[in-house]
Amino acid sequence: MTGAPELALNNLGLSYPQRGSEAEVVALRDITASFPAGSFTALVGPSGCGKSSLLRLLAGLLSPTQGDMSAVTQSDIGFVFQEPTLLAWRSVYENVALPLKIANRKSGLRAQEIDTRVREALTLVGLETRAKALPRELSGGMKMRVSLARALAKRPPILLMDEPFAALDELTRFRLDDDLRAIWQRQKPTIIFVTHSVTEAAYLAERALVIRAGSLHAEIKIERPKKHTDNFRAAPNFHAACAAISQALADPKEGTS
Amino acid sequence: MRAFLLRLIPLGVGIAMLGIWELSVHLTQVPIFVLPPPSAIGHALVDNFATLMGSLWVTLRITALAFFWALVSGLALAIIFTRARLIELALYPYVVTLQVTPVVAIAPLILIWVGFDNVDRALVIIAWIVAFFPMLTNAVQGLRSTEPQLHDVMTLAGASWWQRLYYLELPAALPAMLTGAKISGGLALIGAVVAEFVAGSGASTGLAWRIIEAGNRLEIATLFAALALLSALGIALFYALTLLEWLVLRRWHDSFAKSP
Ligand SMILES: Nc1ncnc2c1ncn2[C@@H]1O[C@H](COP(=O)(O)OP(=O)(O)OP(=O)(O)O)[C@@H](O)[C@H]1O
Ligand SMILES: [Mg+2]
Repeated sequence: MTGAPELALNNLGLSYPQRGSEAEVVALRDITASFPAGSFTALVGPSGCGKSSLLRLLAGLLSPTQGDMSAVTQSDIGFVFQEPTLLAWRSVYENVALPLKIANRKSGLRAQEIDTRVREALTLVGLETRAKALPRELSGGMKMRVSLARALAKRPPILLMDEPFAALDELTRFRLDDDLRAIWQRQKPTIIFVTHSVTEAAYLAERALVIRAGSLHAEIKIERPKKHTDNFRAAPNFHAACAAISQALADPKEGTS
Repeated sequence: MRAFLLRLIPLGVGIAMLGIWELSVHLTQVPIFVLPPPSAIGHALVDNFATLMGSLWVTLRITALAFFWALVSGLALAIIFTRARLIELALYPYVVTLQVTPVVAIAPLILIWVGFDNVDRALVIIAWIVAFFPMLTNAVQGLRSTEPQLHDVMTLAGASWWQRLYYLELPAALPAMLTGAKISGGLALIGAVVAEFVAGSGASTGLAWRIIEAGNRLEIATLFAALALLSALGIALFYALTLLEWLVLRRWHDSFAKSP
């Protein structure tokens, strides 16, 4: 897990060309932010504000149209997409194992090590008994968990997650929130976690970045005890963080647009 | 059980039609060289069984070879086209030209160039020209239809171009490729028949040639028998490919999902 570089964005902008029109869609503008190695950041903002776009930039799946950013090593990145994105013709197990198998050409993981990691990841998301199922035999939330397991099995130093738990019931989500915290505490990957949920952001992260209409609107530090327990939901700091994030989201003073 | 009975309906319709045919031929006394009754066609089939089977084999071989090359060349070209946009831009107009020019018009040339010492090879080439285009276009479309986010998964896994092809694009393209194969299979047979017609002489002795021959001799019952064998060949080809499609896709593809 060591050697995750700091991610830095400098006046970053991103526009999408628009079909049938000269004007471009500006998805992100003037984003300056840094994500130190081992930090846990939540990205919060309303639908369409550019969260997914920012995550794809960080993963090197898109290039910025303005500004610059630190170089990306894609083999360092685990990505959970907003939709499950599984191979329909491969089983749950094979879907989780595939990136490891592909990367194996360079990393030289032993088959047994791959198997251990895949089973561990499947157990973590509670799908160890469905390893042989095909994606179409799973519910939406289960597919999302397979997608999560696929990213975790890679044990990446950088974990980019796009609303990974949005499709899950609250109980499963709380459990996975805690599991994610545990993984983070154990392995210290850099986590950037997109969510719609103010409480989830406040519960998980050390810091929340509020994005509105493509601009970075506020950065909120979340004061939390050294040792994480689920009592944090009752702590005054948690409520303070929730209030601060909500306020930044509702703030009538729009950013630059 | 109900589903099985429903499947018997076409069979029943066929038998009824044959019955009506047989009866009306006898009642109206149509000359046998205009419209032979099914019984006469049956007799012709039995009487000429050896020659007809020989011809069936010739046509089947041409069809199969043309189909095989259509699959191989269509897929290979599709893979090249989807990897190198420039090659696609450069070659596509010529592929289209080959496709839209009526094959009957090209066939004499091919027969002169290739058929000079090997008629069968010329026939295969003609049938291949007819057959390969749907395979190409469907494979291209299939290879392009992969969900972009799955490509992102491959990119982040560090997949090489052939890993991307093998793990993602080819399986994702399978449904489209099988559709293309089904169309190409039917066209290969049509192409083989057209080729035999154009070749026209006794150099090749497939079913189409038997049809011409029987027509010239006014052996209409034999003509019908050859025609029936051609249809049977086409039907067998179509259902074999449908079966293959079902075997390959039924596990994961939505179009074969059981419920709703
Ligand atoms: N491929 C694309 N082509 C053109 N415009 C795009 C594309 N992807 C996103 N956009 C535009 O960029 C803006 C930001 O989209 P993005 O998907 O990043 O939002 P988001 O914050 O992730 O929203 P949500 O919470 O609904 O997922 C939107 O206006 C969207 O229309
Ligand atoms: Mg999004």
